[in-house]
Amino acid sequence: MKRFYLFGFLLLMGFDTLAQISFKYAGTQALPVAASIEWVLRVFGQPWVYGAVIGYIGAFFTWMALLKHAPIGPAFAASHLEVVSVMLLSVWLFDEHLTLPRVIGAVAIIAGIVCLGMAESREHVPEPAEA
Amino acid sequence: MMSVAGSISPLVAGLWLLNIVLDTGGQLAFKAAAGDEAAGDGLARWKHMASRPWLWLGVASYVIEFLVWIAFLSLVPLSEGVLLGSINIVAIMVAGRFLFGEKLTRLRVAGILLVTLGVVIVGVGG
Repeated sequence: MKRFYLFGFLLLMGFDTLAQISFKYAGTQALPVAASIEWVLRVFGQPWVYGAVIGYIGAFFTWMALLKHAPIGPAFAASHLEVVSVMLLSVWLFDEHLTLPRVIGAVAIIAGIVCLGMAESREHVPEPAEA
Repeated sequence: MMSVAGSISPLVAGLWLLNIVLDTGGQLAFKAAAGDEAAGDGLARWKHMASRPWLWLGVASYVIEFLVWIAFLSLVPLSEGVLLGSINIVAIMVAGRFLFGEKLTRLRVAGILLVTLGVVIVGVGG
């Protein structure tokens, strides 16, 4: 069962990561930003925006399946830890730099997310397993 | 406030704020729709929710947020954007505290402060 959770969490992170990477590609290809129909048409006129849609839908169903059985604390944390995978991939895909403020900021944010996940775990005492 | 950093333009700051408002507003609207105890069960529950504005307000917020987030990310590096977006977690928890009386335990407050600190560091430092 543990392996099932681990796989589920990784799948959730994967879908969330796909969504963010797709958002970035979609936005970059639709530049310049404008509050206009033309901009919206540029966004939906190239394939990356649909990668974002697939990522969102996949993450939604994975999340719902996980929540049925998985403990809420780790599930909450896992659903927000895609910042790590997205940061690492953005170095590789978009030639971005992991500047010192970004690394320190990321460490604080991840520590905060872990705290929030632990808080959720404490509040929802797991129900006894069904026979 | 963020514009003192120089790296964040007023447009980027505006999109970031709009994203927070839409994400928090959408979540709260869904919560109001789903938490309505008069709604009943099964199909009747969905009919009840569909006949009230909350569900639709949530859907509309999410559709607009989708576009706002794309615009935001096209103007900032992705690694910075996802970190700045983490503030939504904090906004939703604080709003839940005020509107639904959800408890803020010590561990939760610590989490909220750490995430906020991280976002400030990224916003100011770039």
